[in-house]
Amino acid sequence: MLQLQNVTKRFHGIVAVDNVSFSARAGEITGYLGPNGSGKSTTMKMITGLMETSFGAISFEGEPIQRDLIAFKQRLGYVPEEPHLYSHLSGLEYLVMVSQLRNLPPKATAERIDGLLRLFSLHGDRHASISAYSKGMRQKVLLIAALLHNPDLILLDEPFSGLDVGSGLILRSLIQELAARGKVVLFSSHELETVERVCSRVVILHRGKIVADDSIERLRTLMELPTLEEIFSQLAVKQNTTAIAKEIADLIQA
Amino acid sequence: MNKLQFYVLHRQFLFRVVDAELLSESAKGDASKLMGQFAALLIFFSTVVGLTGLLADQRNMRPAAILAMDWTVEHFLIQTTMLVVGLLGVLSWDTTFLDLRDVLVLGPLPVRRSTLFLAKVAAVATALGAAVVALHVFAGLTWPPVFMPAHSGVFGLARSFAAYWITMVGAGVFVLCLMLGVQGLAALLPRPQFLRVSGLIQTTAFCLVLSGYFLEPTVVRPQDFTAPGNQQLLSWPPSYWFLGLFNFLNGTAQPALASMARRAIVGLLIGVLGAGAAFLFSYVRTLHKIVEEPDITPGVRGGRWLPRFGDPPLTAIVQFSIRTLFRSRQHRLILSFFLGLAFTIVILYVKTPLAQRSLLDASGTNPWHQVNVPLLVSSIVMMWFAVIGTRVAFAMPTELRANWIFRMTDFRRLPDYVKATRRSLFALTVAPVWMIWAGVLLWLWPWRLAPGHLIVLGLLGTILVEACLYGFHKIPFTCSYLPGKANVYYLFLAYGTLTVYLLDRAARLEQSALQSTPRYTAVLLVMSALAILVRWRTMVLSRSEGAELRFEEEEPPAVLELGLHRDGAPMIGPIAAGAREETSKYRNWSF
Repeated sequence: MLQLQNVTKRFHGIVAVDNVSFSARAGEITGYLGPNGSGKSTTMKMITGLMETSFGAISFEGEPIQRDLIAFKQRLGYVPEEPHLYSHLSGLEYLVMVSQLRNLPPKATAERIDGLLRLFSLHGDRHASISAYSKGMRQKVLLIAALLHNPDLILLDEPFSGLDVGSGLILRSLIQELAARGKVVLFSSHELETVERVCSRVVILHRGKIVADDSIERLRTLMELPTLEEIFSQLAVKQNTTAIAKEIADLIQA
Repeated sequence: MNKLQFYVLHRQFLFRVVDAELLSESAKGDASKLMGQFAALLIFFSTVVGLTGLLADQRNMRPAAILAMDWTVEHFLIQTTMLVVGLLGVLSWDTTFLDLRDVLVLGPLPVRRSTLFLAKVAAVATALGAAVVALHVFAGLTWPPVFMPAHSGVFGLARSFAAYWITMVGAGVFVLCLMLGVQGLAALLPRPQFLRVSGLIQTTAFCLVLSGYFLEPTVVRPQDFTAPGNQQLLSWPPSYWFLGLFNFLNGTAQPALASMARRAIVGLLIGVLGAGAAFLFSYVRTLHKIVEEPDITPGVRGGRWLPRFGDPPLTAIVQFSIRTLFRSRQHRLILSFFLGLAFTIVILYVKTPLAQRSLLDASGTNPWHQVNVPLLVSSIVMMWFAVIGTRVAFAMPTELRANWIFRMTDFRRLPDYVKATRRSLFALTVAPVWMIWAGVLLWLWPWRLAPGHLIVLGLLGTILVEACLYGFHKIPFTCSYLPGKANVYYLFLAYGTLTVYLLDRAARLEQSALQSTPRYTAVLLVMSALAILVRWRTMVLSRSEGAELRFEEEEPPAVLELGLHRDGAPMIGPIAAGAREETSKYRNWSF
């Protein structure tokens, strides 16, 4: 289980994540939602150890991650929000490099990489430079790199970004399959429809603070709203979207 | 042309002459600091040259000596202007054309192509113009009075100033036009071919500019121009054309220089018109091609295999280093700079009386087929600059934001990363340089003596690698770059150049040691001990407390902690719980 307790992050006095506490359990897909700038990616980076917390503790299976960050990172698979990759390498070279950095057995990993490249329809382009890849292809490289070592904790920050419909459907099923096999999956996305179909629980963040942490079913019942989109609008958007849209239209016509 | 659009674009393009994305977080992506450093370097140079202008006293000199001195300084200043503009042109090579990002951002906006084109050319010209001004800010004030014709009064002084600045700007414009023209012509090729050829042309231009500067004669005398043997040779380098132009404008033209002045004017006109046409034509074509054919350099078929360099993580880092250095144009250019410098030093050294005498002293018919000092020095200089150049390239990041994968997988201790960097340096510098020299020396020298020097060269490479690794707690190409620290490299470079004389002495020592077994053994022992010592020093530092793998270069703190401790509690920072009670005892004391 991944647990965050009173996690806070400040940047030069500005609070990006404010006293966030929640847990993500094995076998469950936890959706981590929030509008732009609400602190989702910052939380993800703190969980990966790329960023330090200003306050609070993050633990995985009862152990604070900072106690043995290396051991924790070995069990972690991460798909970042932006597909930053070394574009002078080919897709295959990049994945081999990641497997080597993770010290995976070369022969078995080569077979695994080959298989994953085929399943993600990248095999034909494996020798091409990443600079030639489309956004979706880059996203697939990130997904393969994150899953290559069979991690126990999977952090997915906007994993559907750039994927075509077919690949998106495969990924959706894959996330469910991985959770069913006992992985802890924390999944951040703006695609609420996908989140509603995939996640069993959601944590909603607004201006760095948690405004909801429950199962989607319970939230629907409690708030008496039929969809996650409406729940999200009421909890995190807190704006009259129709009125703002009208104002924008008025302003550009003025 | 919309003036506002032009100003906005000009400003944007001007500050993108340097890639701000590779700068450290501490530099806040501010390229102006780096540009300021370049400017400071040029102004410093100008100050030194300017001071010599103030001190120049020609009163007791013969007219022939005055002429030779004036021409030498004039030629030196013109040559340096062309070098600076040429180097900046090469370094800002990729910014001359719009890239895919520019086209995608600016394409949908209602901006005319002509505005984009002019703003881009103006930005490059402004950057290069600023460099010329910085280079002559002091020299351009103190030298024109020295160059003015005798007894020509205020008019002569004004004319000398005008001639000076027109010539320097003209020389800069000529080099700029040459660069733009070559790029413009290359851009007429299909886009994938252009992307492949562009890097090659850039590196070639870089080598030409650098070697041209160092290989041209440093002293210019009237008799050099009249000597029949020199006519062909001196009519080609453009720096002599502009020497002629300056003297023509200054009213000090000699018959020997008249044809040179003509060449300068014709060259400048052809350069401006030709480059303008080629560049404009290719620019219009390129805008289409950038969108239709994205900025992808075609992959190299074959040659992808690389050997293992230890366990998988070590192999990953070494292979990443090798691939990056071979595929990144920017990093290749840094290495080319150092290798070009090494070649120049070697050529200059071989031309010195010191080296010539050592060749003459050699017994036998062909001195190159014996152990000789010039070859010993050459191999040492090449090894020296290859290692230093690669180490400097390692410190410059590539796609900085992609380094998250290394930060996510930093499972090893720091000494393991130092080991990986060491192997990268060996694989990229010591091994290839050593093998090249092994081929050369085993072919030229007796079989018994060549291996002797190759062992010494290997030990020298080891010492240099270890010296370069001291404090380098980074994975190559993954740590941000902080402008300001580069001064260290300039110093290193200066020391490297000064050391050539010492290298000559060391090479002579080695030459004599190779003839005597006890002396050779002593040399090997000393070098081995030094290699062990520097390696031990590097490893101790990497294992020391607080040493960690860095991905972000940081400025040194503005306030330094002196490390004065009382009762085990630091004076600065939070007071340890035990010491807090101790401290509280003194709170009631009054002084």
